[in-house]
Amino acid sequence: MDSDYEIVDAYDGDSAEDYFSGGDTDMDEGDSIGGFEEDEDDGDNAGYEYGYASDEGSEKTYTVLRESDIRQRQEESISHVSSVLSISRVAASVLLCHYKWNVSQLHDEWFADEERVRRSVGLLSKSVILFPNDSEMTCGICFDSYPRDQIHSAACGHPYCTTCWKGYITTAINDGPGCLLLRCPDPACCAAVGQDMILKLASDEDREKYSRYFVRSYIVDKKKTKWCPAPDCENAVEFELGSNVYDVTCLCSHPFCWNCTEEAHRPVDCSTVAKWILKNSAESENMNWILANSKPCPKCKRPIEKNQGCMHMSCTPPCKFEFCWLCLGAWSDHGERTGGFYACNRYEAGKQEGLYDEAEKRREMAKNSLERYTHYYERWASNQTSRQKSIADLHQMQTVHLEKLSDKLKEPESQLKFIIEAWQQIIECRRVLKWTYAYGYYLPEHETAKKQLFEYSQGEAEAALERLHQCAEKELLVFLDDGVFDINVTPDFGTFRPKLAQLTRVTCSYFENLVRALENGLSEVDSQAASSTSVKNGGAKGKGGKGKGSSRTGRAVARNIDDSDRWNCDRCTYANPDSSSLCQMCHHQR
Amino acid sequence: MANSNLPRRIIKETQRLLSEPAPGISASPSEENMRYFNVMVLGPSQSPYEGGVFKLELFLPEEYPMAPPKVRFLTKIYHPNIDKLGRICLDILKDKWSPALQIRTVLLSIQALLSAPNPDDPLSENVAKHWKSNEVEAVETAKEWTRLYATGA
Repeated sequence: MDSDYEIVDAYDGDSAEDYFSGGDTDMDEGDSIGGFEEDEDDGDNAGYEYGYASDEGSEKTYTVLRESDIRQRQEESISHVSSVLSISRVAASVLLCHYKWNVSQLHDEWFADEERVRRSVGLLSKSVILFPNDSEMTCGICFDSYPRDQIHSAACGHPYCTTCWKGYITTAINDGPGCLLLRCPDPACCAAVGQDMILKLASDEDREKYSRYFVRSYIVDKKKTKWCPAPDCENAVEFELGSNVYDVTCLCSHPFCWNCTEEAHRPVDCSTVAKWILKNSAESENMNWILANSKPCPKCKRPIEKNQGCMHMSCTPPCKFEFCWLCLGAWSDHGERTGGFYACNRYEAGKQEGLYDEAEKRREMAKNSLERYTHYYERWASNQTSRQKSIADLHQMQTVHLEKLSDKLKEPESQLKFIIEAWQQIIECRRVLKWTYAYGYYLPEHETAKKQLFEYSQGEAEAALERLHQCAEKELLVFLDDGVFDINVTPDFGTFRPKLAQLTRVTCSYFENLVRALENGLSEVDSQAASSTSVKNGGAKGKGGKGKGSSRTGRAVARNIDDSDRWNCDRCTYANPDSSSLCQMCHHQR
Repeated sequence: MANSNLPRRIIKETQRLLSEPAPGISASPSEENMRYFNVMVLGPSQSPYEGGVFKLELFLPEEYPMAPPKVRFLTKIYHPNIDKLGRICLDILKDKWSPALQIRTVLLSIQALLSAPNPDDPLSENVAKHWKSNEVEAVETAKEWTRLYATGA
């Protein structure tokens, strides 16, 4: 996965004006400081997606194959084999189906012993039966006599009539992909039935099925390719073996882990995800009723259903109480503006004070362990739901609102791309955040320092995301109002635009740090004790780059050059301009 | 009525089965349903089933010959590839079926299965275990069953 650096690049390289102009040229200039960016042509997409298929950087470790791509590759393999082995294309297809599209193995075996390969796949060099010169022949299935033109046979010459062939082919196709390796009906004969004959005699519906099986045969049993697991998606993903980063995103926009085919779960590893999913399936029924879709308003106790993505809830008037969906505390305690802090990601183990007898202690422990799990599960599930909602919101934005907004503000849609980018960032961050809760659940209790760092980074990232989500969801509403166009709206939009764009970048940066920290196994805790803060940044990067290719390190260097006029905050790692001595994010002193 | 639109293939197969029966095999269609056959197979010589007469039923489904016939032993038989309901484990009755096979070839294959039991691909787990652990004793049981159930006494 390369794109986490692109995100940083896009942020570091661009001034705010560049960001809004949306032009590739601006972006490229900003990016090419280190001279490493010749093949970066995806400036448009950088900055919000971790691995969306649209990026085509040199470090991408996978390729999404659409059905047309697969067909094209099949065509190429067939042409290649057909010309190298000097056989017909039909024969080449038969061979490739048998050899699971492994061209080199086919070549090896063919040139080692052509006769044996021919025998095993049923490519006969000459027919077994010579057609007699009679004008009529007897079908070997229905035993009726037919004129010669209604009798067909595979290369072997066993005669069957058109009707019986059709029946035979239909049955085979409906029996499944075995029809790709169809043989002559004669039980003692191994002659392959070629694609030409099948396509000529099959019905339209069966031909469609056959061709589907044919395409699929290219992916099945291949080490390097897998189907996208999203329902109804027909694409496959080819993976560059040897890479350690398994997150891929199909063109259908479904992000998944190529290794375990669960949804993408970076920065959490596959085994943690498997454990977590198993645990959820075992306990989810309990959880389902605990976490029913509604919660009582903490103030007026009316049940409230969460129907929007962000955690900032507002009870309906007259109550109007604003609270956090996760902790049910007042929202006013959540922003740094009010002096409060965002602490909903933290789970304090229950107070185990006082004297319990054994039974009570056990009960207490069971309750605590369930509570602890509930805590993480709830946050995992909430982010999941929130992400789903955001995907729907983004879709709505792209299909309905954007056009309206563009009419209203008299701006081309390309100028409003920052809204789409914000939503894409939200969706990706919700995904990452969700999995960090699975990570948190399995983080050992006794590793206090790591736990603190984890909860701190997670909390910071989460707070940033909530600000972004709130802005994209609620503050945008004003501009989407269907009322008559009001000229007074425009100046407001002028402030909204940089705000949302800024929040998008800041959130991106926070999640970058979070992902990097978790992928390092929170090793900064160890290194920080030993070395100064300046080393910390570089050291973390070095470890983070493990298995991600050397070119990535190169880019990291490029970034550092670019970074020379910035300093990284000790506390939240935010990259601040040199001119300020207070961190812009957390107000920590330099 | 159901017999009036019987495919030519079935009529021809039936005629041949009646006019040139395979040795040790007889198959005749039921009068009410021409797709249902009463079958007798003689136990092959030098097998534990020698001297026995085994009754089977054979039915040609609507899809025949694209789908295989359904065959079942009616006579009790002690055989690792035949279960106590008389169902037979034979590849050409399942995935190895080909429309170019016929009733005659199916019955000949069943007869051959009696000569060569295959305990490595069992349908009846207990019988197969018996066969593999103590073949002499299992063969004795098979002979005993043949005498008890297949000699028409």
